[in-house]
Amino acid sequence: MSMIDTPLMRGLERVLDLSAFRHQVIAANLANIDTPGYRTRDVRPFAGEIEQAMAGDEPSLTEQSFTPVAHEIRGLLERPDGNNVSVERESLLLAQNQLRFQVAVQFLKAEFHKLSSAINGGSAS
Amino acid sequence: MNLFGMLELSGSALGAERQRAEVVASNMANVQTTRTAAGGPYRRQLVVFQAQHVPRFSLALAGLHRETASAVRVAAVVSDQRPPVLRFEPGHPDANPQGYVAYPQVDPVEEMTDLLGAVRAYELNASAVQATKGMILQSLDLLR
Amino acid sequence: MNNSIPSIRILPVEIGTSPPGVAEGGKFLEVLQQSMDQVEGAQGDAATQVAQLLNGQGADLHSAMIAVEKADLSFQLMMQVRNKIVQAYQQISTMQF
Repeated sequence: MSMIDTPLMRGLERVLDLSAFRHQVIAANLANIDTPGYRTRDVRPFAGEIEQAMAGDEPSLTEQSFTPVAHEIRGLLERPDGNNVSVERESLLLAQNQLRFQVAVQFLKAEFHKLSSAINGGSAS
Repeated sequence: MNLFGMLELSGSALGAERQRAEVVASNMANVQTTRTAAGGPYRRQLVVFQAQHVPRFSLALAGLHRETASAVRVAAVVSDQRPPVLRFEPGHPDANPQGYVAYPQVDPVEEMTDLLGAVRAYELNASAVQATKGMILQSLDLLR
Repeated sequence: MNNSIPSIRILPVEIGTSPPGVAEGGKFLEVLQQSMDQVEGAQGDAATQVAQLLNGQGADLHSAMIAVEKADLSFQLMMQVRNKIVQAYQQISTMQF
């Protein structure tokens, strides 16, 4: 593409792409919280994230090997109508995901500013 | 994220839950209605929710696999098929020959529970809209 | 000859610090041409993404914003390359022989 690229930028862009995609999936789960038979979906690199984080590993979001795919989650409590969307889970993930997106944006902005300074020799913006 | 699709998706849920609340209101208003234009007592109404796949153009350039997320819609408003509740009131104008009056099978407790569910789901999807807006503003902020 | 041309460091490209000569002019222009091509590419990509965004064709907003920013940085880079080259030639032309 262009010379304007660093490994950090690529990693951050990836976090943004994944977070944006996950946001859509979470919003769809929330929209279908009362739909009979609807199964909760999540995005593969993140799945099991809460469990992983508790076990002490952070999922590696900047690896290129993951293609984000939405898939059904197992292990959730199912209601009589077949719906297994959990209010608590989706609300938590909604907030967490939004925060992650925000953090990535800020770091990416800082990276852009750094490059801009380097290009312009530290003078002018 | 896909601007045009995201807000619509959450919006579909807001609309569906609102419709559900309206049906509850109608049921509550008619809890004592023994006589309708169609004859017979008011029949309790329920909404049927259905997931609705939103077609979305995939971002071939980005190489990311996009699956369609689903919005929700009210597939139908149906009448409760349970038989009406019969109460012995021989003096009532709508009493049948045996002296029983047919009342709608509307249970206020059941309706209130349903309403609370609709309100909670509405609030959840409203916060999803807020989250989407937040992320849109963040994205715009990338350009300083 | 001593080095009168300031060495230009543009990440990660470095234009040589050798003395001026007609042969070296080609190298400068090569780098400038490269920059210009990259700017064109970056701006084209940004335009495509923004157009897709406005058409509701599924471009992510953040991707479009990033593409626009990269195009802008590419442009700035090209301008700096151009400025340095112009500066270098100006210095050459004021040299006394």
